[in-house]
Amino acid sequence: MVWLSSRWRIALMVAPAIIVFTGLIVYPVIYSAGYSLTDFAGFGDPVFVGLKNYIDLWNDPFFWSSLRNTLIILVVSIVVLVPSSFGLALLLRRRFPGGGALRALVFAPAIIAPILIGLIWVFILDPKIGMLNHFLGWLGLPQPEWIGGNVLTPYSVALVFIWSSVGFAMTIFYAGLQQLPGDVIEASSLDGASGWKQLLYVTVPLMKESFAIASVLLITNVFKIFELVYVLTNGGPVHRSETLVSYMYFITFTNQQYGSGMALAVIITVLGAVVSLAYLLVLRGRKSE
Amino acid sequence: MSSAVQTAPTATTPTPTPVPTAARERRRRKGGIIAAVAAYLITFLVLLPIVWIVLLSFQSSSKILSNPLDLSSLSLTNYVHALTSLPLAQMYGNTILLAVVSVTIGTAISFMVSFALTRMIFRRRRVQSALRFYLLAGLAVPVYILLFPVYRLDLAIGVFGSYAALIIPYVGVSIPFNTLLLTGFLRDLPSEIEEAAIIDGAGLSRLIWSVVLPVMRPVIATVLIFNVVYVFNEFPFASILINNPDMVTVSLAVSQFQGQYSIDYGGMMAAATLVLIPQLVIYAIFQKQVIAGMTVGAVKG
Amino acid sequence: MHSTHHPKRLAAVVAVATAVALSIAGCSAGSSSGPTKISLSMQNPNVKTADPATWAIVQAFEKKYPNISVTVTGQPVAQHLQAISVAAQSHTLPDIFWVYKSTAEQMNKAGDLMDLAPVLKSLGLTDKIASSTLDNFSTGKVTYGVPYQGLLTGIWYNKKILSDNGLTVPKTFDDFVNVAKTLHSKGITTLSDGANQSSFSVWSFLVDLDRYGWESKEASILAGTSSYDNPDFINFYDSIAKLRKAGAFPSNVTTQTYQQAVNEFTSGKAAMLDAGIWASSAIQDSSVAPDAGFWNGPTFSDGVGKQDIVMNVASAPFAVSADVQKNDKKSAAVKKFIAFYYSDAAQQLLVDNGQPPVTNYTPKLDATKQSVLKGALEASTAAGLTSPKTQPDLVVSTAVASAMYDSIYGVIEGQLTSKQAVDLVQKAIEAGK
Repeated sequence: MVWLSSRWRIALMVAPAIIVFTGLIVYPVIYSAGYSLTDFAGFGDPVFVGLKNYIDLWNDPFFWSSLRNTLIILVVSIVVLVPSSFGLALLLRRRFPGGGALRALVFAPAIIAPILIGLIWVFILDPKIGMLNHFLGWLGLPQPEWIGGNVLTPYSVALVFIWSSVGFAMTIFYAGLQQLPGDVIEASSLDGASGWKQLLYVTVPLMKESFAIASVLLITNVFKIFELVYVLTNGGPVHRSETLVSYMYFITFTNQQYGSGMALAVIITVLGAVVSLAYLLVLRGRKSE
Repeated sequence: MSSAVQTAPTATTPTPTPVPTAARERRRRKGGIIAAVAAYLITFLVLLPIVWIVLLSFQSSSKILSNPLDLSSLSLTNYVHALTSLPLAQMYGNTILLAVVSVTIGTAISFMVSFALTRMIFRRRRVQSALRFYLLAGLAVPVYILLFPVYRLDLAIGVFGSYAALIIPYVGVSIPFNTLLLTGFLRDLPSEIEEAAIIDGAGLSRLIWSVVLPVMRPVIATVLIFNVVYVFNEFPFASILINNPDMVTVSLAVSQFQGQYSIDYGGMMAAATLVLIPQLVIYAIFQKQVIAGMTVGAVKG
Repeated sequence: MHSTHHPKRLAAVVAVATAVALSIAGCSAGSSSGPTKISLSMQNPNVKTADPATWAIVQAFEKKYPNISVTVTGQPVAQHLQAISVAAQSHTLPDIFWVYKSTAEQMNKAGDLMDLAPVLKSLGLTDKIASSTLDNFSTGKVTYGVPYQGLLTGIWYNKKILSDNGLTVPKTFDDFVNVAKTLHSKGITTLSDGANQSSFSVWSFLVDLDRYGWESKEASILAGTSSYDNPDFINFYDSIAKLRKAGAFPSNVTTQTYQQAVNEFTSGKAAMLDAGIWASSAIQDSSVAPDAGFWNGPTFSDGVGKQDIVMNVASAPFAVSADVQKNDKKSAAVKKFIAFYYSDAAQQLLVDNGQPPVTNYTPKLDATKQSVLKGALEASTAAGLTSPKTQPDLVVSTAVASAMYDSIYGVIEGQLTSKQAVDLVQKAIEAGK
């Protein structure tokens, strides 16, 4: 590899992505971070206000409740999604009639635009017109306020997020499984390793990058959840079910407080990056033990 | 979902053992049936809400709100309405064009950088991992922070109002995601084969085209699928950067039924179904041909 | 296959794809000969179906002036405003566009809008459009907006549901609470509202805010010399809480949308609907049309404002981009469009599509096919009724308007006490200083 890694070869391979990424992602983030220090309202000239927007957010109870909701969704989603989508990938890797079609169908929710996902689930979760409560009522069970109440909304959003992401995460694990060297599995099964042991000691360690990939994507996607909340409750009642991005959208576009909205957007970016990085470091630390 | 986890372990022995005893064979077959039943059941649960959309798409808007389960009043009205009011062919044409160009560029340049970051030897190792984290940090960026600056950028480089106005940000946004997937899988991939190829005297290009890419097919397929789905569903950029009715994409189709004081739920459901089904078919073909078929030989080498 | 690889194949793929992208970029520039093109950008993605009045006027205009073509585009409100905001930064605004008044005011300050006062004057429209409306869209001598459609708001009721339950249309707030109590005991929603996607759908309560003295307090509250947290407004929110306790609102008010609220009324499941004149078409098309009536809202014994009022003002305005003035052909075409929009023919088109006229034109109405609209227009012009000069949320910034909506829905949903509700709005007013 060494003699293929001349300086100009590396530059040629790296430059296009780095240039496009810097121009289209990094530069805009810096640009918007600049606006987060102003009182810009979408029109006219921005006036520099220092850290005022950040301090206002710190003192804003709705910011804290949207952070809390986002963290609830994060924990619930990761705990449920990672094992279940990995399990599903293992399951769908088996050969049985219609297996290929099932793989496509399980992925289907990931194809639907998030705004539509919200729309479908309104008709399922709405406390009054939703299918779920009709069904529970028919069974004579209590009918909770899945969305729109004070308690359950973030959990319901997590449920919908899990539904919409399970096929997506499964596909990542599935691709990882397909890449596993077949002889490794063969060898371990010939050694008489029982199913569970083989899974834990052979398959999972070989798949550590797949786990890292799936987890980082899920974490960063949770930090970006917007349309689900926007359609299910629009953050209501009175912003109690907002997530960070839905609240940022409200500030930026509904209230037209562009400066404050960008301050929140910067916070979301930093939080998403820090949480994923921390997760990766923990994962790496544990693996090397 | 817990059933998936419990039955999962048996699934990792797809290769038949050379001398199967009768008991082992029976156990395997039993496990296979349980796995199949579980897979069908889970898929059914996942699909239930989608069946729900399709059902609602045959219902009038007022029925959807008052009595959605009334099967006596199903009709094709929403479809007629959606097909006549939406320029679907144009929308698909635009979207496919955007998807093909942006996904090709995005995947190619992401693959190049990912290969360099995992396989090539940098003078300073730190630079290599720093660059990777630099690109991955882009995953944490919510799209709304980009809209306004990207709009200005499009104007500044003179592409606003053209397809390139959307292609450029789509390529940009796909880089962190693609890099995560590609570097991750490249790391898991044993490098012995490549080393053998290098010893055989392969150059960089040949190494990539004939050795690495064939083995990476499942991952590239995954990357392509996710990228295409992203372009099909992308709404925020499309809603800001398209100002010409002739350039609308399918992601804008569903919002066409939402007015200031009115929402045509039936129309939305019909549009959603019309947008969803072709994608599902494409995915089904894609995953069967590419993921399942082509990898069998390549992977085990 | 292996032997034929060109060393730079990967780079070539990228180069080809980039070239394709750039060549696509090249074919977008349109030619400028032929008819004059003006663009009209609206707050509905499908103007033809969601805003048939505007669509009809544009069609009639193009027919009358074959040399002018109007490109109508539109998006949902939030995206539309977003697009207007970014376009304003970059001088790519559409020629004519719908926009909130408070946004238009900001844009005017930033110099993004054309002053329409001279146009209106030369067209002789200043006498046809109510002066209060034009004043509302003016600062000093500059008029930055012209009325788009009328905002006639209030409460639609279903006579049959009321009479079936031994009730009549209430007059006072106490009557209203009693109606709610009776209907609630029978499992019927009294007043349908929906907060999801439409936090602004609290029109009847904005009229009530005027009945509690908003108009006389407005200036001092916005100037900061008095507070939104005052005993009268506490009483206003207390009245909403009383309705809530009487069971007036749908149980899923938080998650249902305005559209669902309308459906609850038009399907005969709610006795009343909090909305405005734009709902007349939907009601007309439903089975409740023969029983539908329009009520301007309750009177309050503790209200300190005028009680006999109906909200009959101009909604958000049309604004014209300042850049239009740079192009003579365009500005002539825009002028023609404005002249046409306020002509009697166009005003009749508004009425034909279920909207009240925005000029002093007396419309022709079909007593049976437009019974709902006709009833509402008559109710709104009943003797003794006057209108506030504008709706309270239209004079404040969007952030304060949102806080107003949140405060009202917060009480409807049982999330906020009256004190918390006024605090929420007061905080938003102070934050905007």
